[in-house]
Order: sequence, then C-alpha cells, then structure tokens
Amino acid sequence: MSDTASSLGAIQVSPRAIATIASEAVLSCYGVVGMSAATLKDDIAEILNVENVHRGVEVETVDEMIVVDLYVVIEYGTRISEVAHNVMQSVKFAVERALSMQVAEVNVHVQGLRISNDD
Amino acid sequence: MEAQDSLSHSAGSAIQGSGWQKRTQIDGSELLGALRAASANLEANIAAVNALNVFPVPDGDTGTNMSLTLRAALDEAGAEPSNSVSELGRAISHGALMGARGNSGVILSQILRGFARGLDAQDTMDTHDLVTALQEGAATAYKGVMKPVEGTILTVVREAAQAAEQAAEAEGDLLQVLEYTVLAARESVKRTPQLLQVLADAGVVDAGGRGLECILEGMLRYAQGVPIELVAGEEGEALTHVNPVDEQFNYDTQFIILGPGLDVMSIRDRIAQMGDSVLVVGDPETVKVHVHSDNPGEALDYGISQGHVTNIIVENMQLQSEAFVAATARPAEAVPPAALTARTEALSEVGVVAVVSGDGLQKVFESLGVSAVVAGGQTMNPSTQDLLEAVDSLPNEQVIILPNNSNIVLAANQAQELADKIVAAVPTKTVPQGIAALLAFSYQGDLEANHVSMAAACQQVETLEVTQAVRDAQVNGLDIAQGQFIGLLNGDLVTVDAGVEAVIRNLLDSIDMDDVEIVTIYHGADANEDQASQIGELIEGSHPEVEVEVIDGGQAHYFYIISAE
Repeated sequence: MSDTASSLGAIQVSPRAIATIASEAVLSCYGVVGMSAATLKDDIAEILNVENVHRGVEVETVDEMIVVDLYVVIEYGTRISEVAHNVMQSVKFAVERALSMQVAEVNVHVQGLRISNDD
Repeated sequence: MEAQDSLSHSAGSAIQGSGWQKRTQIDGSELLGALRAASANLEANIAAVNALNVFPVPDGDTGTNMSLTLRAALDEAGAEPSNSVSELGRAISHGALMGARGNSGVILSQILRGFARGLDAQDTMDTHDLVTALQEGAATAYKGVMKPVEGTILTVVREAAQAAEQAAEAEGDLLQVLEYTVLAARESVKRTPQLLQVLADAGVVDAGGRGLECILEGMLRYAQGVPIELVAGEEGEALTHVNPVDEQFNYDTQFIILGPGLDVMSIRDRIAQMGDSVLVVGDPETVKVHVHSDNPGEALDYGISQGHVTNIIVENMQLQSEAFVAATARPAEAVPPAALTARTEALSEVGVVAVVSGDGLQKVFESLGVSAVVAGGQTMNPSTQDLLEAVDSLPNEQVIILPNNSNIVLAANQAQELADKIVAAVPTKTVPQGIAALLAFSYQGDLEANHVSMAAACQQVETLEVTQAVRDAQVNGLDIAQGQFIGLLNGDLVTVDAGVEAVIRNLLDSIDMDDVEIVTIYHGADANEDQASQIGELIEGSHPEVEVEVIDGGQAHYFYIISAE
C-alpha cells in the first residue's frame, strides 16, 4: 500500500490501482503494441487482453517511493530504446500526477516484438 | 551546428526550390532536396510547434523531437547521395529509425519508413508513387500503436494521403498533388481540436500534426521553386521566441473564387507577387486562394476581377501571434480556482511564485517583484498541480515558492519535489512571513542563497491575524462563541473577544513591542477602512516609536492581517 498522510487521515492506494494508471499510460505510448505477463509461458510473450493488462505491470513501494516494472511488446521496426524511454517518462508522469507520490524507478522489460509488416 | 552541416550542400543560406510544375516524375536527388526543404521549414517553426504542446505533457518538445529525427534521416541520406528514390528511401528510413527522438519522433520515423516502402524498387517517383508512399506512411504509422488516437499526427497523415490520392486520380501533376496534400493536412490540423478534447480544452491544435504539416509544406515550397531560408535554430528555443517566418506580413487572407474559366496558373503567379505562404489551388470552376500579405484588399480586388469571390477570411496574424504568446504564458486561466497571473520578463535567474488571497495583497506581492501569483488562502488551497503550472509558466529555470499559509506548505513541498525545474519552497505560513521573505529576495543571488536568506527573514516577523469564529469551540483553553472575533499569533489562537479592537490590543500585548519598528495592517474584504485607520492610530498612540502603515489587502476571511517586525 502507498500512503499519503494528511491532516484528515491517511490515503492508501493499492498496487493494483497504480498498475492500472501505469498500464493506461503505457498503452498510449507510440510503439507499444501490447503488454505481456511478467512470467513467460514456454518463452513466448503473449499479448494480454485489455482486461488483463495490469498483469504486465508490477508495482512495489520502497521507502514511500514507487517502483514500477513493465512487461511490454513493441512494434518491430521502431527504435526500441526510444520507445522504452518514452514509456518510462509517460508512466512516471502519469503516476506522479495522479498520486502526488514520487516514482523512483520505471523498469521496462521488452518481452517480445510484433512484426506486422511483411518486409 | 550539425543542422547546418547536414544542409550545407545547398549554396548560401537558403534552399533553392526546383519547380515541379507540369512534372510527372522526379529522381532521388530532387526528392532529397524536397526533404531538406521540409526539414528547414520544420526548423523555422520549431518554437511554434513546441509551444502547441498540451500543458503539461511529458513529451514537451514535439517540434524539437521531430526536427532532430528528420535531421538524422537526412544526415544518413546525405552521406551517400543516390539518384534512385528507393535507395534514398532506405537511407531516410534507417536514419530516422536510428535518430528517432521522443514519441513524436518515433511516429515520424514510422511514417518515413512506410513512405520509403512505398517507393520500393522505384528509381523515380511519379504522382502514383507519391500517393502510394504517403498511404504506406499512414498505414505504417497506425500499426505502431495499440489504441490509435484520432486528432493527432495519425489523422493528419491519413487525411493528407487521401487528398493526394484524389488529386492524383484527377490527373494532377506532382505540384498539384502536393498542393492538395498540404491543403488537406492544414485543414486536418485545424480539425484536431474537434476530435481530441484535450486539445480543445487547451485551445491548441495537435503539435505533431502541425509538425507534419510543416514538413509537407516545406516539400511543397521546394516543388513551387520558392527558396526556403535556413534559420540557425538552437535546440529547444524558448517560448518567447515564437516567431514563425510568415509573420513578416500582417494579414492572412483566404477566399474562394468561383469561375467559370479561371486560369489557376496565372492567378497563382499574380497572388505570389503580393506576399508569401501562397497557396492557390483548384480548377477552372473554383479556386481557393491563401496568402500572407500586408494588404488583404489587393488580393481581394484581384480575386473580384477574376470571378465571384466567396468565403472570405482575413485574419490579423500579428495580433493572433501576440494573443497566442500571452495565452501560452498564462496557461492556468482555464484552471479554477487558482487564477494565475504571470509576468513573462525574467528580471532574475530565480522566479518567485506566491500564493495570495485578495486583490490588495496580490498588488503588494507584485510590487515587491513576485513573478507569478496563485490565488488561494485559508479555505481555498491551491493544489500541487496549480503550483506546478505557475512554476512552469515562468521563464525562469529556478523558482522559489511562498505558500503563505500553513495549509499550503505541504503542497509547496510536493511541488518542489515534482517540478522539472529547480524549485525551493520557503515554508512561509502567513502572509507577513511571505512578504518578509520576499523583501529578503535578492535579484543577484542564486536559488540556494535566496532560499537561506528568505527562510531566515520570515522568522523575523510576528504575524497577528484577526478573524471571526464560524462556530462555537474550545481551543487552547479559550471558550469561543460563534461570531466572536479571534486573534492568532503566528498561527496559534491566543485571544478571543466580542470586539475587534480588544482582540488586536491583546495580540499586541502578547508580543514584545520593544523590538518592533514597523507595523503593517492589511485590512480584509470584510473589514472597513475607517476602522483600520483607527486601529493604526491606536497603535501609534500607545507605541509612538513604531511606524504604522495601513494597506487595503482585500483578503477573504481575515479582517486584519498585521505584521510586526
């Protein structure tokens, strides 16, 4: 749980809620074509359904700081490092804006690439 | 400086266009020239495109990112020039891929990749190839995202490609096809706020779409044979430099001429003599005219001499540009309740944001050189976001925040941590503390030195506040009835009485007046001025060595805020 103290009481935000915010931000990033589960079955990255995208996000809080791990599938042919970098920025921005809590780390794990062009 | 190197093949400081009138195909070197012109045109508009970003977003410099991406593509293409459009396309595609920067840069790299695939196995490009290339560019761009959002660069590239196809079907030459493409892109960019609510809320068009329009427009200018000035654009120009090349002319004039028997070419030639950004497209029945000039009448008179003129739009670009700069410098206008006033000139490297309630107090803070005021106070606490927006609205990279209320100190501390700029919050809990801190601000000092001296200064002042109890209560051993006046010393409730004067007298008795030299009384919106003057005279009477000043603060809730220092 992530806590914020105020004079009226405490606000707790569950990792699942943070995961939802993060996955929304990820999917709006250009070049990301899907999220994949953190643990791969048979080493194949399956793209999660929209209802399950939170399974591609792991959220931890360490010393009141949020650490997010993302498991994504990226479009083949894009510059993966740049897409991953954009993902980091967007997720950090979206989570911090929604929660007013600091995001310490956003780790992007590229689980697979999707080839949608036949060249 | 890389920018200049990559474009140094062209002589002088301008890219000379090559006329594509009546041309049905071009080779790789001409396509490269058009793309160089596109890059130069985008570069000339970097600041304007950057300024369109919906505030606030993480990818905050769309124009810069797109420009760097296109430049990387051209560097690669320039390294091994080829007359074959397919070879050129491969180099462009690879260069853009490797050089893609930011979200918008990655999208542009995908558009260029698709564009190149559309030219695969071609040595030259004809109108049909251009259409295929644009369509492939659009299709490839859409594939790269899970949830394509309309009202973005994606929409613009798709609609531009559609227009190109229509123009090619009408058997236009390369120039005509490009003209229709640019016109469609421009219209599409204008429609983006209708498709995407965040754009409408922010009162801007989509930045990526506008960037693409600049690219296509640059290609068109090259095709028209119009030279494109190279600007020595530094990466990430400040907003204050919004100055698109077009604005040497004052008026944007658009109208439609209805035929029959219109000669598009001769109309274009004539309009082109009147100004720049000339776009004349159409057929003998209908011609659309667009020109930036200083005399809209001249273009209209000419139009009337050719046929019936309709759909006339004349806009003053100079005023628009000023209004735009003003609007972007004050982005929080749409964010109630914190009305924000920002002054754009940077007197110091360090800006100061203060939270203040009341017109009078706002004037006091402004006269003391605060850079931006966020409205707020006891019962109207601005959010961290409101503070961040005020911080971002300043031209300064280093900003000090004065919360001026104990309830806002936390938000100020959070703003300090979340801001992209270097921010320091001085924990001022009262308005007098904020004023004392501001008086200690040094224009020459850096952020750290100011932070230290301001934090020290705000401890040197005693704050006396008088307000009315909103309900019965028991605080600090005092029984308070609703409607009674209560006095706070540095935020702590210390006295209560039915009369204002008695409360103030008690407050003054509770501090050591021997150390006090100046007393300033800020009377609030609910207090009356005569009473304030009487209180001032009262204090002067009992403490003749003290200098008393009475100021209309206009603050809500607090009848009087008094500082003693």
